[in-house]
Amino acid sequence: MSTPRVAVLFGFGINCDHETAAVFNLVGGNSERIHVNHFVQGNRVLDDFDILAVPGGFSFGDHLGSGRLMGNRMRFALREQLHAFVAAGKPIIGICNGFQVLVKTGLLPGPNTSNPLPDFVQRASLTLNDSGRYEDRWVTLEFDPESPCIWTKGIRRMDCPVRHGEGKFVMPSSTDFDALAANHQLAVRYVDPSTPLGQGVTDEPLPFPISPNGSMRNVAGVCDSTGLVFGLMPHPEAVYAKWLHPHHTRGTAPGPPSSEALGEWEGEGLQMFRNAIEYVISKR
Amino acid sequence: MAITRVEVTPKQGAGMRDVRGDVVRRQLKADHGIDVSEVRSITGFLIKSSVPSFEISERVDDLFSDPIIEDAVTDTLFLTSPQHFPTAPDAAITVGFKPGVTDNPGSAAYDGFRTIFTQDELLEDASISTYQTYIFYGLPSEVTAEWLATTLHNNLIQRAEVADGEACAQAQWPAIDYPEKPPQTRTPPQAMNLEIPDEELIALSESGLLALNLEEMQTIQGHYRDVEVQASRAAVGIVANAPTDVELECLAQTWSEHCKHKIFASKIHHVDTETGEDSVIDSIFKTHIMKPTHDMQKEVDWLLSVFHDNSGVIAWDENWSVCMKAETHNSPSALDPYGGAMTGIVGVNRDILGTGLGARPIANTDVFCFGPPNWEGDLPDNLFHPSRVLRGVHAGVRVGGNESGIPTVNGAIVFDDRYIGKPLVYCGTVGIMPRVLPDGRESHIKTPTSGDIVYMVGGRVGYDGIHGATFSSLELTEESPSSAVQIGDPITQKKMLDMVLEARDAGLITCITDNGAGGLSSSIGEMAEYTNGCEIDLAKVPLKQPGLSAWEILVSESQERMTIAVKSSDCAAFESMAELHEVEATPVATFTSSGMFHVKYDTDTVAYLPIEFLHDGVPQLQLESEWSTPQQPLFNPESIELGDDAGHSPVLLDMLARPNIASKESWVRQYDHEVIAQTAVKPFVGVERDGPGDAGVIAPLHGDPHGLVISCGIAPRYSDLDAGAMAAASIDEAVRNAVCAGIDVDKMAGLDNFCWPDSIESVKTPDGKFKLAQLVRANRELERVCRAYRLPCVSGKDSMKNDYGSGENKISIPPTLLYSVFGDQPDVRFTATSDFKCAGERVYLVGISKEELGASELAFMMKENGQAEGIGGQVPLLPHPEQNINTYRALSTAIHAGLIQTAHDCSEGGVAVAAAEMCIGGRIGAELDIDGTGDSSVWSRLWGESLGRFIVGVQPEHEADFIEWMAGHPLTFLGTVTSSQELIISDGYEPLIKLKIPVMVDAWQNTLDMTGGVA
Repeated sequence: MSTPRVAVLFGFGINCDHETAAVFNLVGGNSERIHVNHFVQGNRVLDDFDILAVPGGFSFGDHLGSGRLMGNRMRFALREQLHAFVAAGKPIIGICNGFQVLVKTGLLPGPNTSNPLPDFVQRASLTLNDSGRYEDRWVTLEFDPESPCIWTKGIRRMDCPVRHGEGKFVMPSSTDFDALAANHQLAVRYVDPSTPLGQGVTDEPLPFPISPNGSMRNVAGVCDSTGLVFGLMPHPEAVYAKWLHPHHTRGTAPGPPSSEALGEWEGEGLQMFRNAIEYVISKR
Repeated sequence: MAITRVEVTPKQGAGMRDVRGDVVRRQLKADHGIDVSEVRSITGFLIKSSVPSFEISERVDDLFSDPIIEDAVTDTLFLTSPQHFPTAPDAAITVGFKPGVTDNPGSAAYDGFRTIFTQDELLEDASISTYQTYIFYGLPSEVTAEWLATTLHNNLIQRAEVADGEACAQAQWPAIDYPEKPPQTRTPPQAMNLEIPDEELIALSESGLLALNLEEMQTIQGHYRDVEVQASRAAVGIVANAPTDVELECLAQTWSEHCKHKIFASKIHHVDTETGEDSVIDSIFKTHIMKPTHDMQKEVDWLLSVFHDNSGVIAWDENWSVCMKAETHNSPSALDPYGGAMTGIVGVNRDILGTGLGARPIANTDVFCFGPPNWEGDLPDNLFHPSRVLRGVHAGVRVGGNESGIPTVNGAIVFDDRYIGKPLVYCGTVGIMPRVLPDGRESHIKTPTSGDIVYMVGGRVGYDGIHGATFSSLELTEESPSSAVQIGDPITQKKMLDMVLEARDAGLITCITDNGAGGLSSSIGEMAEYTNGCEIDLAKVPLKQPGLSAWEILVSESQERMTIAVKSSDCAAFESMAELHEVEATPVATFTSSGMFHVKYDTDTVAYLPIEFLHDGVPQLQLESEWSTPQQPLFNPESIELGDDAGHSPVLLDMLARPNIASKESWVRQYDHEVIAQTAVKPFVGVERDGPGDAGVIAPLHGDPHGLVISCGIAPRYSDLDAGAMAAASIDEAVRNAVCAGIDVDKMAGLDNFCWPDSIESVKTPDGKFKLAQLVRANRELERVCRAYRLPCVSGKDSMKNDYGSGENKISIPPTLLYSVFGDQPDVRFTATSDFKCAGERVYLVGISKEELGASELAFMMKENGQAEGIGGQVPLLPHPEQNINTYRALSTAIHAGLIQTAHDCSEGGVAVAAAEMCIGGRIGAELDIDGTGDSSVWSRLWGESLGRFIVGVQPEHEADFIEWMAGHPLTFLGTVTSSQELIISDGYEPLIKLKIPVMVDAWQNTLDMTGGVA
């Protein structure tokens, strides 16, 4: 059985492509950094891949709103390829700027459950942090154990860096949120690390810096109704190893006790990528 | 062609915020104490195109506004809409760019515009300009709209339209127009008559901003008198007996202090009035920097490339090499802090990309020197307040680094009154490259051959950046601002970087360098030395706007450009790669072996200079240096009265709040320090991730813990007593910071970046001899310490004119050396950080505290508070550096042996401040006794800044092993980390300090938090 193939987009200011490609490889994927224009011009075909990752960065400098211009390129130039990719049941992840791109493309949170195929209609947005500042800081995330998201399966809580100036997740009305919540699409939220596991999630906006951006309902990431398309503002790839956790010199960096990839030093972030690789293999 | 106006403003409603407006409101509060009840914002787009307005209007939500969070209007001003702005504001201010200034949002909008409107005929000469409007409500009556406008824009590059309360009440709204650049006409090359008297030669140099002295002008004059030169010139059809303006400009650039480092290369007559020394130094650079490094290169196998390339390269492991370069961008940052600093960081990124056959930038460092942010004194004309310089420089570096996807892993911010005259903005970058490329070539060696085609890649050439380097000596005017400063365009550069690294791996590049100072003149000129000749056609160079003359195209310093040589057989592959990445790549020259720097405009020869004359023709400066120790009133701490029982506790709180010591977290956190997923020791460490990190540690190969350390040292205060001691302290501090992080002291390299005041004696600089002697002493100490540490200086730079004004009002910066260290970290899983780890940890001082309070941070504080006469006294010295490095080696290997996880260098504020920072990072107390740490006074042992010292923490189970490991090195037991929330320091039975941790946290964190909060 062949190794799952991962297309990691780059170009036009995407800048987390190297590490995003690397983490898929650490968990048994075969990833390739591919310039967006290779797909646009037809030199490469999205359908040849099993997983699509849109990494973080500053596509087009985030002018006119984060992810917007890259979202437009994808919405207008890759519409058919993306539609076919989702229709084929293949996982997509957008991290940070990639999440912003997927939201502005309309792939996230996507249409409702009755017809889950992409319609490329923007339903939510990610806007300037309430603080008005771009910041790099570590936050604590809690995941919805009932989410259909294939990426977050089995993950409950994680320390993770956020690195963004436009990470405040907004939707026009609370009924929009209620619909996503009912379907467990609000897959990951910012939580107070001092709360007991499983009890951190709240709809009331948490104070800065627990919520680094003032997101409505403390949303850090959402999935589409199929659970295959997922995006989040924090950077799980940046904690693939314990030595990237700020507390590793204190001997308290969390993570699995052992792993094939990194021995005692696997970080909490790697499981997300392993989930997708295992999902692809399980569907064969 | 029509102009369509689109305006966008954030939606109002539950949970929604106008964050851009809010940021302005908070900054007015933080910087000026002004309370405004609300500030709202509008972003405007002026679209110049033949697309009809109604078509743009229909697609506004697809491009200009985000329908979920924003509203938009077309061809009207939002302020006229009562639905959106029901009440008249107290002021409305619109800020846009001046013609020709880089407008990144505008360029991005245009790129997006082309995604939607694809008919080429409608887009001919189309472009988009942007502006911001700020609308103020509840403005205090004493605040005028005109003043507000000055805080919101820099009139060097921006325009503002202002409506005050009265105008707003009458609905007279500010409306800015498209910044049309008036058409320019190209002037053909002129012959410059140099057969003129000496005084006219000088006048020509000054009026033409050539910055050449008489001897240099005469050397050029002499060249054109040579009959052989004249004959060869006649043969190519260029004016025979005089330079063209193109040639004179080209020589001025190539021979500039900036490019040729004439002071470091000069012959110096040095006199020491105290020792009686009277000697001659033939080039400080060759004597004190190059020679020691070349000597060390003979002894190790890892120094791959030093001095001659854009950065110094060392072998890191069998497969990878790493390189580093640091630059300064002081004058541009003084004129426009934001643009100046941004071009500083993206410029040094290009130095890395232009190293060898191309290295990938993987880490940035930023070190700034500013006036005090809370300065309340007078400001000289044309200078910004230090807080504005800080904000602008920080924003420029933040945007430049973050958008380029390069983590900022290390840095410092230093404050001194004299940096009001000239801020120092040091930007450094570390790069990595495979040692051998897929085609078998070693990546650190450039391989151009005659016949290779030379491309200009990336941005275009414009008026921006002409004479950028020399502009700072002119009066600032309203007239030609866009050529004075530039704004970087990180995304254009990032696209170019992606493309260049792909081209490198495909084996398409034979030679590469960046376009910085001197533009194409320097980049192609320097590369042409390899093949001994080139032929350039300036008519092929793509321009931002028509009308540039030949000399302007040649010397323009427009940003985001690399110059790359490609074999003619590879040109097609190279060009198609550029096309894929949407990067402009234009062949503009060919390497030759003619011996000539041959520049044409189409078929006309406009410059024809021998390569040898261009690069080696500049005459050596002869300079005078004279040292006598500066006399400073003595700092006598014994005369300081400490308040009753509190002892030294209040002093510690005051010291922690000093801008030089206080936490810079609110600024540093705005840099991405973790992109690339490699940063193993971050700028802030500890329980709450807010204690000071000593050095950056990265593990750049994913999955592999092999690491690199990046650190810096800077100690300009000591120059007030001895610039030599300043240099030694800077190097020692950089090395100690790196040791804390576990650097292999036998595989590390350094960068020397000197920023000096003018040190050539003249009417303007009567004390030039002394300032030059400071430079001599600094370099002698640099050589002595680096030889002892076996620390090669692999790259460096100097900026030698850091003064403002003249006469009594002259401000000269303190001579400042930034020393950066980068080197091997064998395994990032073994490193130490400054935070105390847990109760019971045993605390030791490594090193000895001497009687060295001269020019200490304490002395400066007491003098400023009026509690001390002066800062004079014994400055920290490094008498036996060879002993120090042995101790550092022992300490670093102890870290790798797993014996210690806690280490912090002891610098500004001495043991007291270092211990306080370690408690803050660990959010835990300690009980320490400084008895036995040296024979010096209690003031020196507590606050002194003696070099070579660390505080380390050892877990009890490793204590015996650690003591044995450190046998023979100075080590004193200080005490124990306690479970209390209190730092207690005593001297034997005498209590000195007793402070709660949260109180210290507040003192340390509040001074420089200028964010204005998040509410």
